[in-house]
Amino acid sequence: MSTIPQLEPPSVPPPTTPAPAEVRSLGYWRETWQHFRRRKLGVIALAFVAVLCFIALFAPMIVGTKPIICKYKGHVYFPFMGYYVRSWENPIFLKDRFRDVYSTALKAKDPESWAIWPLVYQDPYRRVRDGEWPGQRGNPVGTDGSPNRINWLGTNQQGFDVLAQMVHGTQIALSVGFVSMSIAAAIGITLGALAGYVGGWVDMLISRLIEVVMCIPALVLILALVAMLDHVSNYHLMAIVGVTSWTGIARLARAEFLKLKELEFVAAARAMGAGRLRIMFRHLLRNALAPVLVPITFGIADAILIESGLSYLGFGASPPNPSWGTLLHSGRIAIQQMWWLILFPGVAIFLTVLAYNLIGEGLQEATDPRLRQAT
Amino acid sequence: MTPSSAYFRLNLQWYWVLVLAVAVGCSSRSDSSSQKKAESAPAEKAATDAKPSVAPATASKSPAVDEPKAAAPAKPFKLGDLIQPFTPPPLAEIDKTAGWIDNPVLSGMEIMRKKQESLGPPPVSIATALSLRNDSPENNAKILGTLSRLAPADGASVDYEATLVRHTSGDLKSSNPLLQSSITEAEFQGLTSTGLLTFDQDMRDFASNDSVLSWQTSKDHLMDKFVLRDDLTWSDGKPITAHDVMFSFQVIMTEAVPILAVRTGTDQIKWVQAYDDRTVVIFHKEALATNRANMNFPVIPKHVYEKSIADDPTMARSEYHTRLEDHPIVGGAYELVSRVRNQEFVVQRRESYYMHNGKQVRAKPYFKQVRVKVIEDFNTALLALKAGQIDQMELRAEQWSDQTNGDDYYQRNTKVTGPEWTEFHFTWNLKSPIFQDKRVRQAMSWAFDYDELLKKILHGLYQPCRGTYHPDAWYFPKNGPQPYHQDLDKAENLLDEAGWIDSDGDGIRDKEINGRRVPFEFTLLTYQTETGIQAATLLKECLQKIGITCNVKPTEFTVLVDSQQKRQFDAAMGGWGVGTDPDQTSNLYATGESRNSSSYSNKRVDELFKQGRREFDRDKRAAIYGEIHNILWEDQPLTWLFYRNSFYGFNKSVRGYNFSPKGPFDYSPGFDSVFKAAAAP
Repeated sequence: MSTIPQLEPPSVPPPTTPAPAEVRSLGYWRETWQHFRRRKLGVIALAFVAVLCFIALFAPMIVGTKPIICKYKGHVYFPFMGYYVRSWENPIFLKDRFRDVYSTALKAKDPESWAIWPLVYQDPYRRVRDGEWPGQRGNPVGTDGSPNRINWLGTNQQGFDVLAQMVHGTQIALSVGFVSMSIAAAIGITLGALAGYVGGWVDMLISRLIEVVMCIPALVLILALVAMLDHVSNYHLMAIVGVTSWTGIARLARAEFLKLKELEFVAAARAMGAGRLRIMFRHLLRNALAPVLVPITFGIADAILIESGLSYLGFGASPPNPSWGTLLHSGRIAIQQMWWLILFPGVAIFLTVLAYNLIGEGLQEATDPRLRQAT
Repeated sequence: MTPSSAYFRLNLQWYWVLVLAVAVGCSSRSDSSSQKKAESAPAEKAATDAKPSVAPATASKSPAVDEPKAAAPAKPFKLGDLIQPFTPPPLAEIDKTAGWIDNPVLSGMEIMRKKQESLGPPPVSIATALSLRNDSPENNAKILGTLSRLAPADGASVDYEATLVRHTSGDLKSSNPLLQSSITEAEFQGLTSTGLLTFDQDMRDFASNDSVLSWQTSKDHLMDKFVLRDDLTWSDGKPITAHDVMFSFQVIMTEAVPILAVRTGTDQIKWVQAYDDRTVVIFHKEALATNRANMNFPVIPKHVYEKSIADDPTMARSEYHTRLEDHPIVGGAYELVSRVRNQEFVVQRRESYYMHNGKQVRAKPYFKQVRVKVIEDFNTALLALKAGQIDQMELRAEQWSDQTNGDDYYQRNTKVTGPEWTEFHFTWNLKSPIFQDKRVRQAMSWAFDYDELLKKILHGLYQPCRGTYHPDAWYFPKNGPQPYHQDLDKAENLLDEAGWIDSDGDGIRDKEINGRRVPFEFTLLTYQTETGIQAATLLKECLQKIGITCNVKPTEFTVLVDSQQKRQFDAAMGGWGVGTDPDQTSNLYATGESRNSSSYSNKRVDELFKQGRREFDRDKRAAIYGEIHNILWEDQPLTWLFYRNSFYGFNKSVRGYNFSPKGPFDYSPGFDSVFKAAAAP
């Protein structure tokens, strides 16, 4: 089977007059995109998320105190990788009494060394001290850290730069959304597909499972986990959000599969000898995916809110954890003096969640023919 | 000269528990039951906790006496079953052989008044003091020096009709003085209880002349004889007698009664004998310097509990006891009139306390009513203070430095600070293979950035800590140790010496322990407060520089206390307040003691604590405790960080507050001397 059957409105009127050029059907995805593109807000939201992704991906190159690239004792290193995963930082910088402050230690240990630095010399995990960077004073502490030339978005009570925490916090916000929803989507789509396509007792079993999982409150589970673990990382939160929030996706996937499996192209595929798995994942899935994307995008927004909420309440990942919610938490204590600890992360959370919701809404309307008519 | 009121002051060893509760403004709920020996069965505690909240009630005299209907305990109830049998000799015989030495019977108020007279006139006028901003030590001295002055002895300028609204951060769990376990309960007892002994601002013990006529100690220090006043009554009108004292001792020493805190210390007493209504003799097991503190146990009315306790040893479950919880019979200056769970309790001045047979026999307490509001969140409490809804609260360091400088604060309030002998530290668990080695603990102390903590995180408000005792204490060693400062080279040398090197080249130090390579990674439990988290993340940052992984885990206060009690931790942040006697630190550092959560053990220290207890000469005792201090400093079972000051905000109408090493209220006169001025200036 060389061409893939698409879910097309069967009544595409044949051109009455011969067209000068061949009119090709757009295909389901491109059509969805065409419709999505017409919604300005959705496109802006998508662009916003793209920018956030960019920031998240390159956070340590934007703000950091570890060089992007440096030559030290005859070798070239990329110390900024340590911000992604601690062990990606070359151990040479952890011994020989190097002590984490590259700006001074590099030259002191090896006068021949050179380095290319991130755009802004600030750190989300510690206070930049006096004399660390030429011409830059140490970060102020207490309530004195209002936005200024060096700390663009101010500092928190402990003197950690807010911009650094915001930029690195983008990683957390986005990864929490993506990772947890990837887990949820993987579980939800697989189970939903099985239930919808196979039907019978499998459907019965999975549907009951969905109902059971829906009864588990993710928040309580997370709180229990936080109490048990010695070192809570954001991955723990992601995992829990992931394994508890797949039910909506599963239900939708099941419904889509139930509907699609009755269509002619499935019968055609089956007639041509395609196996079950092949039909499910090659033919049905791509047609079912667009509606399923809608709960996923809303889920991402939810996950971001859950993470910020937990950090705000002090139940998030172990400190120091440069999350937007953590910033809000520290702002809560000095709400009358330190507006910048509330405003910037608050706006960031609001915009991000809004963006995902707009994308979700756009997708919903672009994939649902009934809603499409309205626009 | 009017005598001052004598509230029962807590200076037992378990005071340590209480102070831990307010550590770095840590969680307000200071449930320290877990700290105690094994008496408090969880079920019994739950029963206490589960009592429904009460609607405000009007003046509580005696509750109607119902027949207690509690289920009979499995074991037959025997009053005082923890006391070894002893037959006290007749009083005449004791008087003959004892060789009584008189001890001071004083009034805390008089002591304070004399002290203030010797200081001369206040530094500035009251109006000036109230207009000053407390932004420098000089201004603090001016404000405190003026507003701390007591009301004149005749009570002029005192507004006796005033209501004081105080702030507390945790709920009153029990109104029974024997069942108390937290700061809030201690404050409640301070208002409503009376007792034999108390201590002044300089931590000197004396008997209160509000309740005691004379106090004598035998030559061999094995007996103390008290003669009580005959004009002191319970709030139901019955006199407070020596039999109440004896009965209270017996109840405390009864196994079936879930005493949370007050049995510590009291269990060092051999016997309490009431010879008549007014004469009571306390027999000690040993001649110890700490016996005075041990005698300071709360007193409950015998006639109220005598019959009911056998049926309900929990003193909280039966209907009768439940009613007593909300309408307690008290002996102090104030009595409970209403109690709303998790909101407030209200006490009001008790006329029968200062009037007896139509005559004034004691100083009239300064407030008509004291309302104690429970506000857990300190930010909310500060808003209430600014709005004039509460008259007093303890301020956090960040509130002191950042949130109380504007007109919105000074419009109604002022603030004062004073040194407090409360130290904060990281506790290392010596049971953990990592921290067994003294050199590793010293390395931790060298690695920490004290400058950053004190100057930046703590706003330069606290003093660096120089060990377990405070430098102003009489038992601090001469030329005592100087505080540590950060020296990463020293720290790394010590770690290298101790065998913690990075052998696998991953940047983290490791060591072979029992045939396994163990990376230097541990979890630090800390308070959930900003300061607690900030201090802990600072340690993490410092240790990261020398190849050690430290995971910070902010922990709810009760869990934090519990995991230290069970020794299930690697390292934890904590704080200890001060008792009246240095011996009270023995249960923190002596081998096998309950609160020695680092499992520290040093034969010499154990020996010295034993010696110090038996020594009565103050200079010799100072030398003994000085040596303990130095040994502890050398061994560093704890990394000492800082001494916390007291920070308090007061409404401008409030006067007469002074600071002791235990804060502004917990001594004599303490709260007794606080009053509201008659005419607002």
